[in-house]
Amino acid sequence: MTEEPCWHPDLLRRFVPTPYVFSKGVGPSRLIVESNDLEIALSVRRAGIVYRNRNRPGRLLCKLIRDVAGPVDGSGITIVSDGAIRVLYLGRGTILIHDHERSELFGFIARNVKVEELTSSLIPALLNAWANTKSTQLLLQRSDKGHIAC
Amino acid sequence: MLFLSIDETDLHYSMDLCFAGAGCDLRTNSSCLARGLERLSLSTGDTVPGGFKMRVVVDESSDEGAGEPHFRGLRHVVTASFGRSNVFVFDILRRTLSASVSTALARDERFWKEKLIPITLGVLGAAMGLVPVHCACLELDGDGLLIAGVSGAGKSTLSVALSEDGFNYVSDDWTYISRRRNEIVAHGTSAPVKLLPDAVEHFRRLQGHSLQRSMNGELAYEVDIAEAFGARVERACEPRWLVFLERTQEAGAVFAPISSAEARSYVNSSVERLPLQLPEAIAMREQTIERVAMLPGWRFRYGGTPQFAAKELREFVVHRRQEIYV
Repeated sequence: MTEEPCWHPDLLRRFVPTPYVFSKGVGPSRLIVESNDLEIALSVRRAGIVYRNRNRPGRLLCKLIRDVAGPVDGSGITIVSDGAIRVLYLGRGTILIHDHERSELFGFIARNVKVEELTSSLIPALLNAWANTKSTQLLLQRSDKGHIAC
Repeated sequence: MLFLSIDETDLHYSMDLCFAGAGCDLRTNSSCLARGLERLSLSTGDTVPGGFKMRVVVDESSDEGAGEPHFRGLRHVVTASFGRSNVFVFDILRRTLSASVSTALARDERFWKEKLIPITLGVLGAAMGLVPVHCACLELDGDGLLIAGVSGAGKSTLSVALSEDGFNYVSDDWTYISRRRNEIVAHGTSAPVKLLPDAVEHFRRLQGHSLQRSMNGELAYEVDIAEAFGARVERACEPRWLVFLERTQEAGAVFAPISSAEARSYVNSSVERLPLQLPEAIAMREQTIERVAMLPGWRFRYGGTPQFAAKELREFVVHRRQEIYV
C-alpha cells in the first residue's frame, strides 16, 4: 500500500472559504461579517445590526454561507431554542444559529432566499427570540435609516 | 412561525445511559423514547470522561417519519434534519444534543439505533476523545483486532466468520476508539450486523432471516449477531493489531506489514475535519488517532470464503500473541 495524502471529507460544508469579510463599528459594538457571498456580506453589514448582550453593546461575529448545494423547500420558519443556542430553520435549507454566550451568529442560506429576507426578516426573528430571556435583552426594530437595532 | 423551547423542567423522563463508552444524560418528555433508548444503552466499565447531554422534545402534534437527511455544520454547532419535524442540534463545545422530533420518530427504534446514536457519537465524540473509525473489531482472549477496509471489502462477513471461529464480536462496521492512560479502548454499539444478500451462500443460518431495505437503501440482512449466530458479544476491548482487508480473485492469503503513516491516513480519512474553534477536541482526537496508528498493522489480502479468511486470520493472531508473550 502506498501512502496516500490525508483526505478529510467536508460533508457538513464547514470549510467553505469566506473571502468577503467586513467589519463595522468600533470597540465593544463591533460587527464582523464573513461570507462566501459578497451580496450577503454587504447587506448584513449595511443592515446596521447593533448587538446588545446583558444590556450592553456587544460584539457580534457573523459567518453566513450561501449554500447552493442545500435543499430548497418550505417557507415555514421553525426556531429551536436550548440554553445558549437558538437555531432558525426556513424549510430545511436555510439554517441560522445564534450562540448568545459566544456572541456568534452563523449559518447557511439556501439559494432561493433573498438577502432582503435574510436581513429584514430571518436575522431579526432569530435575535428577537431572545427578547424574553433574563440574561439577554435584544430589542429588534427597524430604524428610519433602515438599520436594525437589537 | 413555530417556536420550540427546550426547557429541562418540562422533560420529566431522565436517565443515565451509555453508548459506546460515552455516558449520556438523557431528558425527554416521552416515556416511549426513554424506554427505547434505554434498550439501546450498553454500560461498560470503560466509559470516556465527560459524557454528553441529550435533550429531546417529542412534538405530540407531529407524526412525520424520518425524512431525507440534511446535515450542515459551522464552528462548534452541527445540525441534522430528517424532514421538517425532526431536527437535531449538536453543540460540540457544550457536549449537548438538543432535538425536536415527531412521535413517529420517537417510536422508530431502528432510526435511533442505526442512525442517530452513531451520528451523535461521530459528532459529539470529538469533544470526549472518542474517535469513530471505519473498521470492525473482534476480540480473542482479551486482545482486540481492528479490521479496516473500504466498503465492500468484506468486514462484516469476516466478522461473522471470526465470531463463529471463537472470536468475541465488538463491532462490524464502525468502532469508537477512546484513550485510557497509555492504552486505547475500542467500543461497539448495539447496531445490528449488516450482511449483503450473497452472504447467505456462506452462512446457512441466514436462510431463516429475510432481506430488509437498510437505511441507505441497500437490500441486506440486518441481524443481531448474538441471536442469529450465537456469537459472544463484547462491549469494549483493547485493540492490539490493525489489519487492512483486501479481497482478491486469487485464492490464498498474504500478510504484509503497513506503516503507521498509512494507518494514520486511513483513520484520518474516516473522520470529519474539526474547525479551529475546537482546539481541545482536535488535540484529543489527534492523540487517539496517533495511538491507533502506532498499533502493529498489516495488510491482509485474501481470496476465498470468509471462513477461509477467518481461519488464516485466527492463526495469524495466535502466532502474534505467542510472539508478544515470548
